[in-house]
Amino acid sequence: MIKAKNRLGIIFFPAFDWAISPTHPEREERLLYTQDQLREEGVFDIEGIHEYKPDIASEIDVKRTHFCIPDVDSVVTQSHLISAGGAVKAARLVMDGDADRAFALVRPPGHHAMKVVHGNRGFCNINIEAVMIEFIREHYGQKRVAVVDTDCHHGDGTQDIYWHDPNTLYISIHQDGRTLYPGSGFMEELGGPNALGKTINIPLPPMTSAEGFLHVIDHAVLPILEMFKPDLIINSAGQDNHYTDPITNMNFTAQGYALLNEKLNPHIAVLEGGYSIQGALPYVNLGIALAMAGVDYSRVVEPDFDENFIRQERAVTRYIEKICDDVVENYRNPRKRGPSRGMAGNYEVRKKNIFYDTDGIRENQVEAVMICDDCPGILKIETLSSVNPLSLGIEVPLGACDGCREEGYRILDQGKLKNKYAYIKFINRRDREYIDI
Amino acid sequence: MYLGLDVGGTHTDAVLVNEKGVAASVKVVTDRDNLLNSVNAAIEELLARAGAVEITRINLSTTLSTNAIIEGKTEEVGTLVSAGPGIDAARFEIGRNFHIIDGSVDHRGTEIKGPDRRQVEKAIEDCRKSGIKVFAVAAKFSTRNPSHENLLKDLLGQNADFVTPGHRLSGQLNFPRRITTAYFNSAVWRIFNGFADAVEKGLGSFGKTAQVNILKADGGTMPLAMAKQVPVESILSGPAASVMGIVALCDIREDSVILDIGGTTTDIAVFADGAPLIEPEGISLEGRPTLVRALKTKSIGLGGDSLLGVKGGAVTVGPERKGPPMADGGSEPALLDAFNVAGKTEYRDRAASERGIASLAGKAGMGTAEFAAAALRCAIDTIQKEIGLLIEEINEKPVYTVHEMLEGKTVTPRALYVMGGPAGAFADMLSEAFSLPVAVPDNYAVANAIGAALARTTIEIELFADTERRKLVIPGIDVNTSCEREYSLVQARQDAVAYLMDHFKTLGVDSREGEAEIVEASSFNMVGGFYTTGKNIRVKCQIKPGVLFKLNGGGKS
Ligand SMILES: [Zn+2]
Ligand SMILES: [Zn+2]
Repeated sequence: MIKAKNRLGIIFFPAFDWAISPTHPEREERLLYTQDQLREEGVFDIEGIHEYKPDIASEIDVKRTHFCIPDVDSVVTQSHLISAGGAVKAARLVMDGDADRAFALVRPPGHHAMKVVHGNRGFCNINIEAVMIEFIREHYGQKRVAVVDTDCHHGDGTQDIYWHDPNTLYISIHQDGRTLYPGSGFMEELGGPNALGKTINIPLPPMTSAEGFLHVIDHAVLPILEMFKPDLIINSAGQDNHYTDPITNMNFTAQGYALLNEKLNPHIAVLEGGYSIQGALPYVNLGIALAMAGVDYSRVVEPDFDENFIRQERAVTRYIEKICDDVVENYRNPRKRGPSRGMAGNYEVRKKNIFYDTDGIRENQVEAVMICDDCPGILKIETLSSVNPLSLGIEVPLGACDGCREEGYRILDQGKLKNKYAYIKFINRRDREYIDI
Repeated sequence: MYLGLDVGGTHTDAVLVNEKGVAASVKVVTDRDNLLNSVNAAIEELLARAGAVEITRINLSTTLSTNAIIEGKTEEVGTLVSAGPGIDAARFEIGRNFHIIDGSVDHRGTEIKGPDRRQVEKAIEDCRKSGIKVFAVAAKFSTRNPSHENLLKDLLGQNADFVTPGHRLSGQLNFPRRITTAYFNSAVWRIFNGFADAVEKGLGSFGKTAQVNILKADGGTMPLAMAKQVPVESILSGPAASVMGIVALCDIREDSVILDIGGTTTDIAVFADGAPLIEPEGISLEGRPTLVRALKTKSIGLGGDSLLGVKGGAVTVGPERKGPPMADGGSEPALLDAFNVAGKTEYRDRAASERGIASLAGKAGMGTAEFAAAALRCAIDTIQKEIGLLIEEINEKPVYTVHEMLEGKTVTPRALYVMGGPAGAFADMLSEAFSLPVAVPDNYAVANAIGAALARTTIEIELFADTERRKLVIPGIDVNTSCEREYSLVQARQDAVAYLMDHFKTLGVDSREGEAEIVEASSFNMVGGFYTTGKNIRVKCQIKPGVLFKLNGGGKS
């Protein structure tokens, strides 16, 4: 019998009875062939690999992370709570020492879900990694967490949620936003005033092959992780960079994904996108699972794999080599490219227009964060969407200083008095107080 | 009359039963070197006691195949596997004649690359030179498309006395288990067939009128003719015989736990809504997982002969055994001695039990009665803990739909059924510990043979239809045909049942033996681009374990 080097927990939840619509990429069939492949390979018989049932995330797990307008029940279905619960289970396995590594092979995905949720965008309602990370912080204490998002799409949701958090490093490697949904994730996007440089974007040109991805891991991601020194590394393991993916234009392979995972060596991997459900997912997921367990994956190859077909062009290689230096410099010295910092005690304001492609919702936001030298700063978001009237979200972050905490309650009281908000969502992570008005 | 025989490691039990009850029962010591002798001796004595009776059915549970594998007394097997990409097939090597052939079939059952003929020829030639006469052939995804296995079998042709094609053993997806199971099947084929032929001959006139069946680990039987093709299905049937005995003796309708307490071990089985639970993948033998369907049982190192001891000031029970209890002439005190001292049993030499426990208690600075009570407490605690873990494992079994996550059934035991030598002594304490009713059936001493006698034929098949490829496969019974583009889940459910009952008929099994039930049925729309290209249909259908009839008067609480 094969023995795994690392004890790996796999939370496999294919949601065989849930789809966005019958022919939507997020449909019942999506993980069917992955399950067939993992079973046929006898993955769950490998000594040290165990399959686990997901938890079901609770309302409070969602409320801790998101401002759901009008409320959690209205924007979240049971399948989302199970998917997020799958990520939570993965975290519990690793944090409790029941596994060395965990892979939440779950759907629906989550990395396009932002701090405020009015509905579904980019196939996501709630951000399953963020729900998981905040679960970890709630139950196991504050951690320095690095999220490395290897989905082909920019994880604009995860970026939005952690934009102001200096304790969460978010690195997204994706197809250049000028050529793919959601059209963001440029190198200048580096995080808010209290967390500048803790958001790192690495947009890659179409037709990037394994060579390019692995170069980015070696020359940008690993050096930055070395400097950030995270307690936990999370891989948002989207698989739509694969050369067979129907909705993207990259040339990544199962071998490449497995090798990337081995280099990154994440504590937890969470499935995100990936819609080549027959040609890619069975092999990529097998490769990732074996790599995480420390089992030889050298013979995991797609049936139609042809090196010549996906060889990377010289121009692409040169471009990628060049941006890696810039990326590392962005982390080291974010002020050089990013905006200069305002005065402590002032609010820095961003205006955002957000489109929910799946649900066809338009949202306008005014987001303000307190520039603070002592904590991640109080966060205040006014939001108005095509489905909900003007509402307010306030967050007193984990580790908030006394001043920011007081400020949080002041704007809550003010908000209540003004009578102009249909809904007010108040998150106080410091004292675990959650208020819905 | 129905004759049931359970050839166990130490004893061979046999009973004759009919609807009125047990007509005769015998227990003889198993001749491990010649199981046939034990079978013949038990039958002879049984008939001597029962007189002239008509026997319509003989069911046999035997350790023959299990022992052959464990003791390494199996035949050399040539194993040919067509693996393709994935985990390196060399990691699944078994036996000394393991050959990997290039070629691959994908998860849909599409052939990517045919088996490399040159490699096949070389493998066959190597095996021929080594004098190999039995073979196992296994291909990845052969349960989706068995063509590689069929081709390998054809190419072996006259070189083989027997070939096991992996897809005939189970419809389940698990390539490593398929290899192992096919290998074991061929490894015990000759020895099992020799035994089966001899049993048939020994039965003489009985064998002609009675139907002879072999017990399987899933608590069901298979006709002898079928067993000769899949002898691996006869492994580890012992615990299943006892569980089916309980089914025959007791009226179990709810979630329950069954304990078979023996000398050195206790076997735990779990019932959900009155039916025994099946191991989801298959049973392991010699640390190797197989595709052999089995009842879910757990064996723990605790029984009447378990050695008592003291560790870190606490009384311990088992898992070692050092001969019989002192009451039975043993030299060191065992659990049964503690029962004797506590006044729960009056087993043979109680004074010897007292002596043994007193000396152990003295060393531990405890009173004799106090020590015995602590030993019993420890035994009950161990059983309780192990049952708890097993139930937890069952309830934590992964599910794959939102519906099952939210509505899925969990098992909550409402009753305990206890059998085996020390069963009576445990009953009260278990009842108190679990706050549940505990039943000890009459005739529990031969429950295993009764279970063997009354077990029905079981079978499970998996239908797989791909309407885009227009293929329909039922690997276990070698159905490999085409289907219409419009083929539906409704039709698939009907077909699965029809094919299964048909197969039953060809085996010569009375269709009244059991009703086919659908265990799982799913249909996935397959989409290419933005259009539905077909349906991927899977139906699992079985005749679940059960008994021909129940014996009355079973079980007193
Ligand atoms: Zn994506
Ligand atoms: Zn502050």
